[in-house]
Amino acid sequence: MSKKENDILQGTLTLLILKTLACGKRMHGYAINAHIHQVSAQLLRVEEGSLYPALHRMEHDGWVRAEWGKTEKNRDARFYSLTARGRKQLMQKKESWKRLTEGVARVIRYA
Amino acid sequence: MRPSRLQRDLERELSFHLTERMDELQESGLTQAQAARVARRQFGTFSSQLERTRDMNINLWLEAIVRNLRYGVRALTNTPAFTVTVVLTLALGIGANSAVFSAIYAVLLRPLPFPDAGELVTLAQSQPTIPDPFVAPVRLEEWHRFNSTLQAITGYYSEDASETSGELPEKLKRAWVAPRFLQVLEVAPALGRNFTPEEERFGGPSAVLISYRLWQRRFGGSPAAVGRTLRVSPFSYSVVGVMPASFHFPDRDVDLWSPSPPDAPYAQSREATWFTAIGRLKRGTSLAEALTNLTAVQFNLGRQFPKTDSKKSVSIVPLKEATVGGIRRSLWLLFGSVSLLLLIACTNIAALLLSRSIARQHETSVRYSLGASRVAVTAQLFTEVLILAVAGALVGLLLAAASSQVFRTLAKDLPRVEEIGLNGSVVMYSLACAVVVTLLCGVMPIAFGTTRNLAGTLARGGRAHVLGRNPVQFTMVGIQVALAAILLVGAGLLLRSFEQLGHVSPGFDPLHVLTFHISNTWAEAGGKPAKQRTERILDGLRSVPGVEAAATAMSLPGVPSNYEIELKTTEGRAESEPKMLAQGRWVTSEYFPAMHIPILAGQWCRDELNVSTAMINRSFANLFLNGSAAVGHHLVQPANPYLPPAEIRGIVGDVREMGLDREPPPTVYWCTGAMQPGTFFLLRILGEPGSLSGTIRRKIHELEPLRSVYDLTPLTGHISDAYSENRLRTILLAFFALTAIALASIGLYGTLSYLVQLRRREVALRIALGALRVDVVRQFVDQGLRIVSWGCFVGLALAAAFARMLSSMLFGVSATDVVTLGAVVLIVLAVSFLASLAPAIRAARFEPMQALREE
Repeated sequence: MSKKENDILQGTLTLLILKTLACGKRMHGYAINAHIHQVSAQLLRVEEGSLYPALHRMEHDGWVRAEWGKTEKNRDARFYSLTARGRKQLMQKKESWKRLTEGVARVIRYA
Repeated sequence: MRPSRLQRDLERELSFHLTERMDELQESGLTQAQAARVARRQFGTFSSQLERTRDMNINLWLEAIVRNLRYGVRALTNTPAFTVTVVLTLALGIGANSAVFSAIYAVLLRPLPFPDAGELVTLAQSQPTIPDPFVAPVRLEEWHRFNSTLQAITGYYSEDASETSGELPEKLKRAWVAPRFLQVLEVAPALGRNFTPEEERFGGPSAVLISYRLWQRRFGGSPAAVGRTLRVSPFSYSVVGVMPASFHFPDRDVDLWSPSPPDAPYAQSREATWFTAIGRLKRGTSLAEALTNLTAVQFNLGRQFPKTDSKKSVSIVPLKEATVGGIRRSLWLLFGSVSLLLLIACTNIAALLLSRSIARQHETSVRYSLGASRVAVTAQLFTEVLILAVAGALVGLLLAAASSQVFRTLAKDLPRVEEIGLNGSVVMYSLACAVVVTLLCGVMPIAFGTTRNLAGTLARGGRAHVLGRNPVQFTMVGIQVALAAILLVGAGLLLRSFEQLGHVSPGFDPLHVLTFHISNTWAEAGGKPAKQRTERILDGLRSVPGVEAAATAMSLPGVPSNYEIELKTTEGRAESEPKMLAQGRWVTSEYFPAMHIPILAGQWCRDELNVSTAMINRSFANLFLNGSAAVGHHLVQPANPYLPPAEIRGIVGDVREMGLDREPPPTVYWCTGAMQPGTFFLLRILGEPGSLSGTIRRKIHELEPLRSVYDLTPLTGHISDAYSENRLRTILLAFFALTAIALASIGLYGTLSYLVQLRRREVALRIALGALRVDVVRQFVDQGLRIVSWGCFVGLALAAAFARMLSSMLFGVSATDVVTLGAVVLIVLAVSFLASLAPAIRAARFEPMQALREE
């Protein structure tokens, strides 16, 4: 995969993760993955190799916070939740995504 | 550390993900093995996942660090004046600190340069009324044989020797060593071998070990040196080995080591005290155990030989302590001063950093608004300070490297001074200082400069807000002044002591006196031949034109030395009278006229063959013997019953025989100056002492062709050398104190300038409204002086408390000497007045219209 495509996907992945966590629940990485896959009606599949790097980057930037906890099956997992700053980022990214898609759509529609 | 914890957490997280995936696959029908395979394939290889995430975390860290460094360097190079000032100040502060630390490390902290040096001890025999720590050879061997706590005991003494294989006799220092010498020190010769048991026996083959230095000089470093002979008059010795270059025991000047046979006939007397004894403790034995054991051994010897041994006792001191214990206080004093200096420098820099961070608040606010976290901004600012500190430390290391040269020049007799130098520990210490400095200097300015007042700052258009009276910055100036005052008081007291030392009346005239040694050995000392030889040499010297008087003495007047003996008179004294304890000195009769010591009663003594004579000084006469009635009495030494009673021929004036810094003690001068190793020859010269050196050498060569003359120094040179440690302390402390007050006044100037700048509008307004310019000047100068007085007061109070620690180094001044304290206050106020004047005058020169128009 070329770097450029990766960039867009990474940016998008961040947006998806942020939105997933926006409902307020704490989720671990696997659950986030499953959620995106499910809600997108299986149109989107997260490249698993990028999921955790993205999560850690966002944790470093202070957009999500993480803590260890137990799942229902009593396994140790790391749960992520959104921070206030993350929420702000989400809004900004939603805005720019809207602009991007709007702009792309217009250019394509132009006969 | 972080990476491995990070790694473990990552592994846990990713393996959880894998497990969930496998569960899901299993639920959809695959077997466990198939599920595992598929899951892994979909997830990519485990380790590469781990690596990527971990790399990314590390990359984030690295990125941040590199970014901070680059940005920091750029910010610093944009303000070169600031950067250079700070780096130079820190170089001075940290460099001086590292220099003193390198001395403390080499001299006090590092063990002596022998294997397991902690086990080495010195042993001394002591007896009340005999100040003689040296051990007799017989007793040394007995201690070695009968003790159970030391691996081995050995001893040494040194004397001068003349090496005569060359054209002119060359003076070398030779150490006579008891058997087991190299064994105790655990050092092996670099070339050749140790002595064999035959060579350590009386009458055995004569052998000598030579120093590395001598090997290079005399034999050109050739391996064929082993086996060659040296003529050390009057015998020849075969060289059996060469010692390593770093071996400097018992002292730096020794070039030859010869075995001193314990079975020699002249070594059998129990009263013959020669050796400085050293030993090596057995592994795991403590000093206390060894002392108990040796005390028991000596007690048994006392029972066996009651006449000679029953009153003796043993003392043991670790060898390192015996070598360096004396200068410990001076070194720690220097360290304390230099640390104070560093604190002052840090305070200065903290003030500069504060101004700078206030000036950059606009930039900081913008960064906050762009989403940076406080941690990131703080980290970046700390990186800047760290860069400055490390740069300062590295430049300071150059200073520290040069300083070992300084130590060697100013204090050549400092023990272990040759070991002082730059090494890994000093570098580590410098860097540690850099880190501490970063924290000290950076915490307050950075904490202050990273607060978020976005709205306020941006609205003001980049102006920093003014804190009414700048309490923080002025407090820092006050602290600097206090610290500088402490250093000034210390330096002032030491300077006054030194000056007082120059003003004491020594009781003799040290000017125009030349001193030297002539090489000779213990074997030829004592008895008639030695006396006659001495007289012949002195007569010959008197005949040299320009020599007014010639004499010998065992020790030099005015140079610290202590040889206390107990005396009794044959005429008897009342039992109730105190014991007669006095300094003993051995001189020829011309000593007194040569030193310009006045005679107060009686007549000069003469060194007569059959009668023993002595002179006493006034203190002795008044203290013990009723003044001038003492002439004619006879003195005996209870400790040396074999000496005949000496008749007191006369009374001389008091001389500071124990050093210029001590009161003249009661002294007895025995009029017998026959030469032995260590005897000083003193000549009173018409004109400069140095002018006759060549003539004297030639004369001595004429009289005694086989002996060498050395250490030709004016007496004033010896006296000032004796106080070289004193001088070093004083010079260094004075230098630190001056630097400190300079730094403090720069700090004051900077702070006041800044304040003046900040209050331009206010001042301009006041002038426009009619305030006198003089009043403006007065206002600012007052502000400066007020903070300085406060700092000075605190500093003096602290100094008075600390000065008690200095009292052992002071002479002629008390620790709370009013003159010194007064002088310090004057200096501080005067300097501060000048430092405040410049900005104050600048303030008064504000043109109101111009200043107001600038807004």
